[in-house]
Amino acid sequence: MTPLDYLLLLSLLTVVIALVAGHRSMGGVWLTFTYAAQLGGLMLMAGLTNQPDVITSSLSFTILGQSLTWRYDALSWYFALITISAGLLSTMYTAGDWGEKFRADGGNLWLLHVAIALNVLSMLILLGSGDLLTLFIGWELVSWASFLLMILAGGPSIQAAIRYITYAMGGAMAILAGLALIYGHTDSFTYPAAANILHSLSTAHLWAPLLLLTLGFGVKMALLPLHLWQAAAYAHTPGPGAAFLGAISSRMGLYALIVVLIQLVGLVRVIELPVLFSFISARDVLAWVAAFTIIFPTFTALRQNDARMLLAWHGIGQGGYMLLGLVMGDALGSAGGLMHVFNHATYQAALFFSVAAVVYRTGTADLNRLGGLVARMPLSFLAMLVGIIGLAGLPPMNGFVSKWLVYRSLMLEGEPLLFVAAVVGTLGTILSVYKLIHNMFLGQLRVEHENIREAPWSMTAPMLILSVVVFVTGLMPGLVLQWIAGIQATVGLPVIDYSLGGLDSAQGSLDMLWVVGVLFAGFGIGAVLFYSGGRTHRVHQLDNYAGGHFLSADIRYHYSDNFYPGLMRLIGPLYRYSFAWLESAVQSGLGLLSLSTQGFYRRVAPANYALVTAVLVLLWVML
Amino acid sequence: MDALHILIELTLMPLVAFVVGLFMVLMMRRIAARIQRRVGPPLLQPLYDILKLYGKQTQISHGILHDIGIIMAVGGYIAAETMLPVPGMNGIADKAGLITLAYVLMVPSLGLALGVGQCANPNGSIGISRALTAMLAYDIPFVIVIFGVAWQAGSNNLVDIIALQQVDGIASWGIVQTPLLAFAGLFALHAILGKHPFEIYIAPAEIATGPMVEMGGKYLGGLFVMQCFQLYTAGVIYTSLFLGGGENWLTFLVKSFAVVAVPICIAYLFPRFRTEDVVRLVWKWPVMLGLIGIAFVMN
Amino acid sequence: MIKDIPIIAEQAQQPRRTNPLAHVFDELMNFARSRSLFMLHYCTGCGAIELPPAMTSRFDMERLGIQPMVTPRQADILLVTGYVSIKTLKRIILTYEQMGSPKHVIGICSCTVNGGMYWQSYATAKKLDEYLPVDLYIAGCMPRPEAVISGLQKLIDNIKHGKSDNWKDYYQRYDHYLGNQQHLFGNNWQTPTDVIGEAREYGLFGPQTLGQHTELLESVQKPLQPLEMKL
Ligand code: SF4
Repeated sequence: MTPLDYLLLLSLLTVVIALVAGHRSMGGVWLTFTYAAQLGGLMLMAGLTNQPDVITSSLSFTILGQSLTWRYDALSWYFALITISAGLLSTMYTAGDWGEKFRADGGNLWLLHVAIALNVLSMLILLGSGDLLTLFIGWELVSWASFLLMILAGGPSIQAAIRYITYAMGGAMAILAGLALIYGHTDSFTYPAAANILHSLSTAHLWAPLLLLTLGFGVKMALLPLHLWQAAAYAHTPGPGAAFLGAISSRMGLYALIVVLIQLVGLVRVIELPVLFSFISARDVLAWVAAFTIIFPTFTALRQNDARMLLAWHGIGQGGYMLLGLVMGDALGSAGGLMHVFNHATYQAALFFSVAAVVYRTGTADLNRLGGLVARMPLSFLAMLVGIIGLAGLPPMNGFVSKWLVYRSLMLEGEPLLFVAAVVGTLGTILSVYKLIHNMFLGQLRVEHENIREAPWSMTAPMLILSVVVFVTGLMPGLVLQWIAGIQATVGLPVIDYSLGGLDSAQGSLDMLWVVGVLFAGFGIGAVLFYSGGRTHRVHQLDNYAGGHFLSADIRYHYSDNFYPGLMRLIGPLYRYSFAWLESAVQSGLGLLSLSTQGFYRRVAPANYALVTAVLVLLWVML
Repeated sequence: MDALHILIELTLMPLVAFVVGLFMVLMMRRIAARIQRRVGPPLLQPLYDILKLYGKQTQISHGILHDIGIIMAVGGYIAAETMLPVPGMNGIADKAGLITLAYVLMVPSLGLALGVGQCANPNGSIGISRALTAMLAYDIPFVIVIFGVAWQAGSNNLVDIIALQQVDGIASWGIVQTPLLAFAGLFALHAILGKHPFEIYIAPAEIATGPMVEMGGKYLGGLFVMQCFQLYTAGVIYTSLFLGGGENWLTFLVKSFAVVAVPICIAYLFPRFRTEDVVRLVWKWPVMLGLIGIAFVMN
Repeated sequence: MIKDIPIIAEQAQQPRRTNPLAHVFDELMNFARSRSLFMLHYCTGCGAIELPPAMTSRFDMERLGIQPMVTPRQADILLVTGYVSIKTLKRIILTYEQMGSPKHVIGICSCTVNGGMYWQSYATAKKLDEYLPVDLYIAGCMPRPEAVISGLQKLIDNIKHGKSDNWKDYYQRYDHYLGNQQHLFGNNWQTPTDVIGEAREYGLFGPQTLGQHTELLESVQKPLQPLEMKL
């Protein structure tokens, strides 16, 4: 029995407990403990991050002459850490009052627990895959597990989930085709064999499997133009489920892409691989796909009026930074991309938790029906504040560090346009997250929300834990970078030269301990200046400047709808929904194809068949 | 460098920034007055304003975030000043490069935005919405310029960039080496200062000074202090990027004041643009020039 | 009938603080206050037309440290520039109550002094100082910019010598002012501001802060508690 076996068994046990006790009122608490045990099991393997080593599972099968193996290395460990933590905190959130209310509102709490446990298990299996076949099997498990989580709420989520599974199946077909191509060359599914054959393939032959696998895994990552399913599917999942999905689910695609692009093909090859008949390389294509994945979804998020949709769209956009950093391939960029996985998981979960808390109290996530909640839900506000600073990538939170690494790498690699694209994404994010926090927590408190209270501790605790993580890893990014350095050593990337406060190398230095220290010292001086001024008197929000008008509670005095009218007058016409159009074009194209095939079989027209056959035969004879 | 030394630098740099900033505000108001054929305020007017505002006897607060907003706005700038090298003092400039500086400079705006948000005044919210839109507009040429300069210098550290420009006099200044970037930078700087014609988010006659609408007493005083820092920061960043920084305090101050004077002299000749026109203008000319400038630099 | 209680023109001088440093500090603050005045011009009537020349190149108020501001929160002086109709007066009072102290009211034009040529109008408030503590009147129909500037200089002088404390009168005799306001606007009169709360917070209570009129106010007032943060 290796530690990996323990981990997988614990995860299986969690699923069993969820199945048996998920409907009990204490079920959530037990599950929380089993997740904590899984985290402990993972910590047994923490040594993986220091040396490029693997821990194999004693579980293995041999099917049709192919042996299936599972093993963990630094990369798997890192993703598994995020997965289990996301499961832990989501279950903790569900375990208390949220779950009670969910059940009282007619939700199936048992199914939610089971779905999250299944997701964690399937992801752990995927992350442990030791060859291409297990990778595919794990991939399918993950796809169906997240489908279960997405669909369980019923209502509008059914449509979104079905859309997801359609995309996922398409992606799986592409992956299968890619694997078949590789298998055709090697007769083996093991990584070394695949890597060998991919190295020896000529440029033209390498493109096919590469493209198929990237497309297939890119579906889960929601890379453009395969992103349309994600926002709705995540947003309509009930609160903690959405947090779990938003934190980690789509990063499985990134994990698989790392395996394929970096471990199998090798990034050097990708950088050199030219696109046929042009002067750009495969890396440029990937980088620009990543850049567009940053920009378009971010600006789509800017237009959302539902808090959950807004966050889900940002989740897609932030995925772009991870890929962008990774394909840069240098120490800084890949570290930034990998670190962003962790950072994104932390603040995205905190944000979804906070929004779910507001929904729990007010019953709506509509950004035009909220406002002023900071006076009533200060802890949720705090979590959201920390979360949005992280999401926007501003100091002192952790999102800044990973984005800084990506920016710096783009600067060093001499990619001005990609750099500008990355910054445009960040700026768009700032605009949209301010709208989020302003419309929910700032501004006028509505009369109907006068008497609501802060969410209960079972809900605020997970988000505060996450806020602390977001801040601490922003202050001391070295904590995360040490894992990243381990991964880089394992998968064969240049290793980042990190320190506790960031990095101190020839390529650029960043010391967050100093930056954050000075920032807070500045705030301290600002506070001294502020409090040395005259005394203040706290007034009611209706004691407000309105050009001499007398405000009363029935006057809606909150600016929320169409928050950026000036910008929208300029860029509004650019929203052409061309991706939605593309999707429906593909859809109707497929529909047409199936109709005509149907017609081919249904309408019996032997004379025509005979004629066509005769002509073809004639042609063949003549030529 | 020992701890005491750096501590002295960290306290001196914001102080200097504040004092210089006071005079920059004075210069701004004097220039405005002269353009309008007025005499303008006396020497210590900016100081009187701040003293009076801090000494108001009754002041209103809309809640704790309203206070924190002002603290963050002032404190963020105080922190940013320590990352801007001045003659003889580098502060923590080498621990935080240009990108960090650019992002730290967004912290005060975010703080202010939070504070204004809690005031529950739509004028303020509209002001913030416009300010963020303006930020989306001017930060794009600004980062292009930063990219170009960092590429040219082979470093994103302001200390290195300044040192490189001081190698052989004016000929090595950024404005001579990369004139297109310098022009784009000046354009972006004007928009960053938010003076006419880019004054969309203050707009007194339209949205009642936007973010400042509910700010009185020390809240407004804090914003006045912030304005001093803002002018100083803008002047010093541009001086460091394109005018070779300061060899000594005299040239440093002359350059910084000159940099700030340019947009101000232009500003008071113009009315105000609409928001979308600001965005369109800033995304067109300085971005274009900046990209062409980068193309030259990278060859 | 409005009871004609004279406003306290000469405030009892604040005793000098004994600590010499504190005294210097007070002097400094008074000086800074006198040299930096943000004004909110509530342009009610004809007199407003005299302000642009006073502000712009001909007379340039900024020399004296006076500049226009936009909202009451930012302002130190409320300039009421002409006749005050009853409807306008409500807004003026709200505006005044939203200003931060020390605040000063200047009535420009004869109409604010005694109703001027609108004396017989049913819709016009006659004496501004019955409703707000006026620091200074600048009479004339309408006063020229020179008069406005000299009036402002008089105010500056008063502030410098600590003699312009009429804003305290509004807190200390709130009942009186409120009574006159109620007489004019009816018993349901209230603003979304909380003058009594402020007086309590800053220790500005006087013998006439509370009285029968404030009782009446409390009986009709919709509660305006600040939204305290609740956990
Ligand atoms: S005093 Fe004369 S100028 Fe002034 S408001 Fe009255 S009528 Fe108009």
